[in-house]
Amino acid sequence: MGGANGIPVDPSQLLKGVLDLAVLAVLAEKDSYGYDVLRRLRESGLEDVGDASVYGTLRRLYQAGALKSYVVPSDEGPHRKYYGLNDRGRNALEKSAKTWGSLTRALDQLLDGRSTANAR
Amino acid sequence: MPDSKPADDVARYAAEVRATLAHLPDAEREVLLEDLESHLEEVASESGSPLQERLGNPADYAAELRAAYGSGDISVDRRRVPILDRIQSLISAMFGTWAYRELAMLLPQLRPGWWVLRAYLLVLFFALVFKGQHNLSPIPNPFTSLGMLEIVATVVAITISVRIGRRGIPSGAVWRGVALAANIGIVLLAVPTLAQMSTNRAYPLSIEDSSGYYSAFQAGFYGPAVTNIYPYTKDGKALKEILLFDQNGRPLTVANLKEPATDFPVGSDGKPISNEYPLNQRHFNGDPVLPPRVALPLASQSVAPTPSPTPTP
Repeated sequence: MGGANGIPVDPSQLLKGVLDLAVLAVLAEKDSYGYDVLRRLRESGLEDVGDASVYGTLRRLYQAGALKSYVVPSDEGPHRKYYGLNDRGRNALEKSAKTWGSLTRALDQLLDGRSTANAR
Repeated sequence: MPDSKPADDVARYAAEVRATLAHLPDAEREVLLEDLESHLEEVASESGSPLQERLGNPADYAAELRAAYGSGDISVDRRRVPILDRIQSLISAMFGTWAYRELAMLLPQLRPGWWVLRAYLLVLFFALVFKGQHNLSPIPNPFTSLGMLEIVATVVAITISVRIGRRGIPSGAVWRGVALAANIGIVLLAVPTLAQMSTNRAYPLSIEDSSGYYSAFQAGFYGPAVTNIYPYTKDGKALKEILLFDQNGRPLTVANLKEPATDFPVGSDGKPISNEYPLNQRHFNGDPVLPPRVALPLASQSVAPTPSPTPTP
């Protein structure tokens, strides 16, 4: 994909790894439909996230049994398919959040070390 | 903007996305694209601009969708055998359960119990072979020689069985096979043996509850219980209201079952008369029990030289 000429880290790849967690976190707050999830992710600062990525992630999480889904009729516009966490999804979120916490602490330390080394 | 335009836009865009993903396995494509249209409609309804402008070209959208849905080719291959996946996760879930762990812990502790049980079952099997199906009871009667023998044999068998069991699982593959086969063999022998025990009829109940003795007609021990008696005269006339007594002068009663139910006539003292035959019986549905067809000994009147009541001079 995008990572050209041996540059190992592609921002979109980084994002992809955490998109599951981000989507779960958004849905933990309240049930949402696809476009709403995207909007809320972007509002939280994940501006690079693509619609297809969110939609694909929702479908995958749903298929994996982490989400419930229901259709809400709307007066104006199309009927909306809402997604929300079920027990499995909540468990997954809890676990992933812990992993994420330790991962970021470790990475912060590593990156701090590098920045102080650079500063010297 | 006319209403049909966004709908057309959605349909066209979705069709192109689908075309790009046409090579995916059916199951995966189905799940992934199940509600693509309605999702695109949501997106379209949020803004007036064409989808292509908002989402980029359909091929890229499809690629991103595919990338977000599956994490690489491995997952594609896996999804082709979702049933195997499911079974695998089911098994691992089962082994992880509390119940399984408890069982896995409990079973080794139960092994001495099995050593005793297999010895008992084996002796029971031999008892069945030698004694036949009669008198096979869970605990043999120690006041009969055969019963005593059975008990002694059981004790000896248990001693040997526990001794063998304590040696542990044999190390050689052959012996291990023999041991496994022997244990399975005992289980297989136990099935018909225990089945014989259960076909042993229950004791027919005597209606003479107060005196507490068993019916003289416990024929059930050796076959189906006698539930009624139909007396006939020699010349084939069915008799009614016959009172039967045993050698001690006690009323002779038969197995008193729930089905068919018996209406006992009541004597002048208010007590039921339990030995008046044939008994007046009804089925559950209320129909009276009809007397059986009987074969009377035809030749008895003329030919048979039975001890005749009229003595020959």
